[in-house]
Amino acid sequence: MSRSAHSATTLAALLALGLTLAAQDAPAPSRTGLDLAGYWTTVFHQDAGLATGGGMIGDYGGIPLNEAGRIYALSWDASRMTVRQQQCPGYVIPYFYFAPQSFRFWEERDPYTQELIAIKMYTQTSEQTRTIWMDGRPHPPAYAPHTWTGFATGAWSGHILSVHTTHLKRAWLRVNGVPQSDAATVDEYFTRHGDRITYVSVVTDPVYLAEPWIRSVDFVRAPRDPAAWLYACDDAEQIVGRPDDVVPSHLFGQNPFLREYSKLRNVPLLGALGGPETTRPEFMATLAAATDADTLPRLRPVPGPSSASAVADPDPHDGQIHVWPVQGNVYMLVGDGGNIAVQVGDQGPLVVDTGAGRLSDKVVAAIRTLSPRPIQYIVNTSFHPDHTGGNSALRASGRDPSVIGSFFSTQFADAGRGATIIAHLNVQNRMSAPAGQPAPTPPEGWPSDTFVQGRRRKFHNGEAVEIWHRPNAATDGDSFVQFRRSDVIVTGDLFTTTQYPLIDVKNGGSVAGLIQALNDILDRTVYKAQEEGGTMIIPGRGRVTDEWEVAEYRDMIVIIRDRVQAMIAANATLEQIKAARLTVDYDTRFGSTSGPWTTDMFVEAVYQSLTQARPAARTQ
Amino acid sequence: MRSLAGVVLLAGMVALAGAAPSAQGRGRGQVPSTPKAAAPFDLTGYWTAVVTRDWRFRMVMPPKGDYAGVPLNPAARKVADAWDPARDEAAGEQCRSYGAANIMRVPGRLHITWQDDQTLKIETDAGMQARLFSFSTPRPAAAAGWQGTSAAQWEVLPGFRGQAPLTGSLKVVTTRLKPGYLRKNGVPYSAQTTMTEYFDRITQPNGDTHLIVTTTIEDPEYLTQPYLYSTHFKRQADARGWAPRPCTAR
Repeated sequence: MSRSAHSATTLAALLALGLTLAAQDAPAPSRTGLDLAGYWTTVFHQDAGLATGGGMIGDYGGIPLNEAGRIYALSWDASRMTVRQQQCPGYVIPYFYFAPQSFRFWEERDPYTQELIAIKMYTQTSEQTRTIWMDGRPHPPAYAPHTWTGFATGAWSGHILSVHTTHLKRAWLRVNGVPQSDAATVDEYFTRHGDRITYVSVVTDPVYLAEPWIRSVDFVRAPRDPAAWLYACDDAEQIVGRPDDVVPSHLFGQNPFLREYSKLRNVPLLGALGGPETTRPEFMATLAAATDADTLPRLRPVPGPSSASAVADPDPHDGQIHVWPVQGNVYMLVGDGGNIAVQVGDQGPLVVDTGAGRLSDKVVAAIRTLSPRPIQYIVNTSFHPDHTGGNSALRASGRDPSVIGSFFSTQFADAGRGATIIAHLNVQNRMSAPAGQPAPTPPEGWPSDTFVQGRRRKFHNGEAVEIWHRPNAATDGDSFVQFRRSDVIVTGDLFTTTQYPLIDVKNGGSVAGLIQALNDILDRTVYKAQEEGGTMIIPGRGRVTDEWEVAEYRDMIVIIRDRVQAMIAANATLEQIKAARLTVDYDTRFGSTSGPWTTDMFVEAVYQSLTQARPAARTQ
Repeated sequence: MRSLAGVVLLAGMVALAGAAPSAQGRGRGQVPSTPKAAAPFDLTGYWTAVVTRDWRFRMVMPPKGDYAGVPLNPAARKVADAWDPARDEAAGEQCRSYGAANIMRVPGRLHITWQDDQTLKIETDAGMQARLFSFSTPRPAAAAGWQGTSAAQWEVLPGFRGQAPLTGSLKVVTTRLKPGYLRKNGVPYSAQTTMTEYFDRITQPNGDTHLIVTTTIEDPEYLTQPYLYSTHFKRQADARGWAPRPCTAR
């Protein structure tokens, strides 16, 4: 066979193979759709001024806000943007594509298979890279950190790229105070027609929206590099000398700018306040007949019982201990009540808090997967049983070689046999009892190494570890722990992502001390970029965060404190204060109507600590 | 040899990919006989506007001279600044803001049906307008009208290597428009306007289905650049809320 004949035969066979392949039933759907790569710029022909100007106060028409979202927005003071942590936040996905900026889209493919791994998007104004995973990977667990761009997975539905995003930070739907919670998820659709992409976003937020919010915006291809890709933002003192427990906000019904937008744009206030009904065509008739009297009830909370949180607890409650690598040498253990932090290295693990003690065997087993060495130190941030319940078991599983062989061992036969438990003296006092009286907890779980001043420090596992006591915060014995090289802070009960702060007034807690403690934490955090990353936070309960969430939590407590204080100043009784629903804009996120720490108990604790006027002594 | 074989195989694939598109779900080689049969997705039924964009321009009458966002030239601004709804009423032109270039932005409901195998019909309850999308060569109307003349086609992308075609869009180009308003407060478009629309359908994980209409308006008389917007409608199971009402100038 000549060379050419051989080639022709082979070609025919290959062509036939190609036709055979084509004739088979369609294989699994392709992960590849249209090419989105390139530079794109947002077109602002719709909602002009909202993106570039952020929107006027009181411009919420067409947003399906629920009561909590509406009251939050009405209470928002633009001066809040002068608070340090509010100055340089990134753009969260529900806002990301509606902001004034250009984008760069590109694909990331496996170099060997050319399978599409991810579609990436970089934004001009906020210097953020977004990743949309196209390889079918699952979303992370609920206790994983949230970010501005969240965790996104995509798939091609024909010529439309569909994206589902979770794990978003709490942020703004519109930069005029309309909030978006960290429980929000977004379904997105990118459709390309020539040199134009139509982007559709559907935000679902059980905390602040009554129903999903659909919007669209258009991008056009930029023929050349738009440049100016960086976001030069750094926070600074904008109000010099302002105490750090001041967070600007408006009391209910006292927003002086509320009607500006309504008057300027000929929009009846009833429509301007938003709500699901404002998105429907028939609302035009309602608007035509609207009066101010129709609107007044919407400016304050509706009387009635408070709402419970609409957000699921990130703890899986599956009887297992889950390990999350936080940063550096520090891990978070979830599953046994309060969060447990574990620092590992060349020495024995240093453990912060021991959980409720129901799953201590599994906690010890989980720690052994992180380090072959026995636990050397346990630090208790609080005496509360959610943080100390596993003390006895974890201590028994450990060993403190720094004590064995020291002079202590000449005085105590069991010195170093078991981990050393470190805590503020008040923790030991609350867990123990004077001789002859029954103690609330077994002695083998009591702290054995206590301190009384504001700071205890150690250099362990190759890094500086600082234990900061914050007096009269959640209790009189709280501490937070800072791992300086790993850049992780463990807050204990001073900060959670799951509930209002447990201010235990009976045991020395106070709202002023708690706010001070949160500010002390914020004094020690540094974000990496756009209020994200950098110092990571392990809360007493809930998911891993960074300083942004701590600041938002601080702001919430300050705002609620101010509302309670204002009613106290107006001679309101505790019952009147509770009935006023002063936490209405946070209840769907943090509220509880049953269980060990309800919204009513929190409000009462704020009231008590304000009326008792306990000074928050500061010791350094 | 290996590289040459690859070239031929690729050529075969390209040839297949370039074959005439067929509607999704049909066997290959069976070219649908009509545009109605070729529809890659079902547009028919009732749809309600979900007004979340340009809310203040759509749900209430914007103040005179408020044409923010529309890339108007000075001549258009002059027209918009002279807007007088009483004059429109007197001239019997209350439907100026219900023309094709704005009708999809008017809060209301759509009823979409196939008038025949070649013509898709969109009726609106707001202003009681009817748009006809002709998949055959449209027969120009004797005179320009509020809804103009619309030429439609399915844009379906072929699949590679025997895969089903990618679901496509409905593309509609509308011309021969009677001059009207892009917004109710007299922001003008001219008889020179060409409007290009793409209709896409998305279904969310919760089962909600939306119609997304991507619109480009080009008007050499009044616009400095193409005016772009996109509008969304939620599918309804029935005619609930369908409320035909005449055009109003105010």
